[in-house]
Amino acid sequence: MFGAGAMTNSIPEIREADLLFVIGSNTTEAHPIIAMEMKRAVGRGAKLIVADPRKIWLSEIADYHMQLQPGTDVALLNAMIHVIISENLYDAEFIAKHTEDFDTVREATLTTTPEWAEQITNVPADMIRETARAYATTRKAGIYYTLGITEHTHGTDNVYCLANLVLMTGHLGIRSAGMNPLRGQNNVQGANDAGASPIFYPGYQRVDDPKSQAKFEQAWGVELSPEDGMNLNVMMKAMAKGMVKGMYVMGEDILLSEPNASNIEQGLNNIEFLVVQDIFLNETSRFADVVLPAACFAEKDGVFTNSDRRVQRVRKAVDAPGQARADWEILCDVARASGYPMPHYANAGEVYAEMAGLVDQFGGISHERIDRDGGLQWPCPDPEHPGTVTLHADGPIKGKAPFQATFYRPSEELPDNEYPFLLSTGRTLYHYNAATQTRRSSGALARQPENFIEMHRKDAKKRGFADGQMVRVSSRRGAILARVNVSPRMRLGCVWMPLHFGESNINYLTNDAGDPITGTAEYKVCAVRVEALEEASAAE
Amino acid sequence: MNQLIETTLLLEIDGEQVEVPQGETVLKAARALDIEIPVLCHDDRVEPAGCCRMCLVEIEGQRRLQPACTFKASAGMKVRTDTERVARHRRGLLSLYKADHRLDESGTPVSRGVHDMLADHIATYGTGPELEPVNAPRVSREHDTNPYIQFDPDACVVCGLCVRYCDEVEAVSAITLLGRGASTTIGTADQRNLLDTSCELCGGCIAVCPTGAMTEKPSLEQPTEQIIRSTCNFCGVGCQLDLHVAEVPVTIGATGGGSSTGANLPVGTKKKITRVTSPEPGTTVNDGNLCIKGRFSYEFIHHDERLKEPLIRGADGQLHPASWEQAITRVAEGLHGVKQRHGADALGFVSSSRCTGEENYLMQKLSRAAFGTNNCHQCAAT
Repeated sequence: MFGAGAMTNSIPEIREADLLFVIGSNTTEAHPIIAMEMKRAVGRGAKLIVADPRKIWLSEIADYHMQLQPGTDVALLNAMIHVIISENLYDAEFIAKHTEDFDTVREATLTTTPEWAEQITNVPADMIRETARAYATTRKAGIYYTLGITEHTHGTDNVYCLANLVLMTGHLGIRSAGMNPLRGQNNVQGANDAGASPIFYPGYQRVDDPKSQAKFEQAWGVELSPEDGMNLNVMMKAMAKGMVKGMYVMGEDILLSEPNASNIEQGLNNIEFLVVQDIFLNETSRFADVVLPAACFAEKDGVFTNSDRRVQRVRKAVDAPGQARADWEILCDVARASGYPMPHYANAGEVYAEMAGLVDQFGGISHERIDRDGGLQWPCPDPEHPGTVTLHADGPIKGKAPFQATFYRPSEELPDNEYPFLLSTGRTLYHYNAATQTRRSSGALARQPENFIEMHRKDAKKRGFADGQMVRVSSRRGAILARVNVSPRMRLGCVWMPLHFGESNINYLTNDAGDPITGTAEYKVCAVRVEALEEASAAE
Repeated sequence: MNQLIETTLLLEIDGEQVEVPQGETVLKAARALDIEIPVLCHDDRVEPAGCCRMCLVEIEGQRRLQPACTFKASAGMKVRTDTERVARHRRGLLSLYKADHRLDESGTPVSRGVHDMLADHIATYGTGPELEPVNAPRVSREHDTNPYIQFDPDACVVCGLCVRYCDEVEAVSAITLLGRGASTTIGTADQRNLLDTSCELCGGCIAVCPTGAMTEKPSLEQPTEQIIRSTCNFCGVGCQLDLHVAEVPVTIGATGGGSSTGANLPVGTKKKITRVTSPEPGTTVNDGNLCIKGRFSYEFIHHDERLKEPLIRGADGQLHPASWEQAITRVAEGLHGVKQRHGADALGFVSSSRCTGEENYLMQKLSRAAFGTNNCHQCAAT
């Protein structure tokens, strides 16, 4: 709405904030070092508002914990917007100067009162009022969110709501405020920046924009397709339907990481040709025609771009094992063998230089400069430019930012009699995603050796489950086993599972319904049944 | 317009004038002048405690020496760090610490930690009279089975910095000062195993310990020959890491197969990552901090099960080792075959947010320029 998907502000600014609104982010586990900055801000006296269905570490030290029903974020946020408008707490000057279509949001939230939202979210109306007031009236108020906001069929609406809050209060372009998506992986930001996207060339230049197309055709010396490609979610479904016949998968275990794994398994069975390029064999490589051994981060050169747009170096420290090679070298060889004259880059720095030459925001960034000065935050258009700490610092946006009205709609699959629990999934402190790396670490294994399902004690008691008991968890798409973890963190009727365990892959359960705009799947809400093992086998 | 006007004040340290903001400590004022004041228990990330007494300085008008880390600068203050009285204090204090510390044959304090400040200070400032060793009855948790962190009471000066870091920065309060007097030690509630406390195994206690009493467990103890600055490969914070590298012996048990029962016969040496530390506080985005994954989860790098050669699936349905040339040719033919039979958009290229920017650039270039499809994406949402 007002720029690219990136933190508007920087990590070191967090400690100076006067209010932190953390929504859909279990920061202490997913981004422990950013959480340390938040803890420091709270220690200094900053107000902390946490919106999360679970009691998380941060909610323990929060001034307000809005323990909402999963998937009801739009209702909660629209109620906050309603309060800010009806109590005249918005920044009329900022709205007039930098935004448009405020009235669409005003109209859309006329009836979204805190009392209405309480019915849907279970968050007390008074708490919604108080948090809305606190957010609107604190200048250095930053919003921090992650996949708890985006991994929904209404993920884009959730983000729009947050952007509406930022725009109407003018919390943009100032230190320690803004809108800050905390990126999940080491280089999510960099992968998107580099154009690993079905609709963007590097630097967010649209593939269907004839000017961009001409620019890249000129640079790469070939004709390019102006058609938008498939996002990962659509690609996985197309594979299952037999429309995608060949895949080249680098550095992701799609069978473990993508939702509705049975469907993906079916697709991988049907596919004609599959290449897997990775550092370990994984679930997906069981289906591969060719497996290429890659170097890990400590064995190669390059850059990662972190959440606050900071381009930093990765440097080769040790040799890759056996014949394993850096991904970038392998990709160049594959391109040449396929008949495309990929240049003979002498090192990763030359690859970066080619990209920086095609993207204005990265024009001033190079390996040499990072080696000399340390990480650089884009936009950094020329070699003299110091990089950009806070986005939108001089007048927020190019032109005016439009408000986007949103309307609450329930998640795609909600609990019913057959599948009575609402399952959300996520990451823990000790493991990392498909856990090919952390499950080979002694500390992570000592802490969390196997999969578990967090459950409210009353739900466990009602079904006669003991803490630690092995149960079968099933959804309309599949079933897996896990141990019950009776947890004070959970709401009644909701369960939670981590995503790290290949032998008990929660993505056999999750729903692959995607957000209509981004295709991001609804990992955070699906309906499941939990049964004791004997009970489950008797039913079969 | 909204600019806060910071009030500053002028003071004098060792005869030099310095201007600092109101509320600044003498220690920070001295640092502004590049005047070195030794510390043990100080770290910019926690509130100063003034308990190690290493940073005592002379302040005009104060009868006693005062700790520079807690004493606030004031206008017109005159501080001296270079007098015989201060030097004598440092030597005497270091003698006391030395008497309560494990020494090597040459009489130097032993440290296997990240810092070796006690030995450094003794080398710089010297010691006073040799004192009889104090065998302080401090205890450690011998039985603690956590895989990473160990506490060596004989190397501890009980400055409590690790405890304050655990409280104030990591904010989990897993460790605490236990006991009284000479037996005061660093422990946990009821001396429980760290795994049974709120400890998140971030290893911050190791990173801040000035004397190497908090260290990695001996199983992780390795030499450092070279340090390479890099970026952590886990979450999106972008913590900077110092990868310690050394040539270490390789044993058969570590290179071949998964058998753990066989004898570990040395078969040569190999350059390995031996330790991961954070760059100095205040220099990078992580401000000296790391989490369990960044600091300790590097075992995968040298793991037996790493892929070491290209594999091609044969007619028997199994994956077989192949040369790079065979594998690359097979990949190009396979992808081209699909394109010829079904069109470019029947191909999908899955790039990776775990790989570098350059690699993502090349993957989308491969997809677009070599094969003519925009079906290129990555695990941005998972």
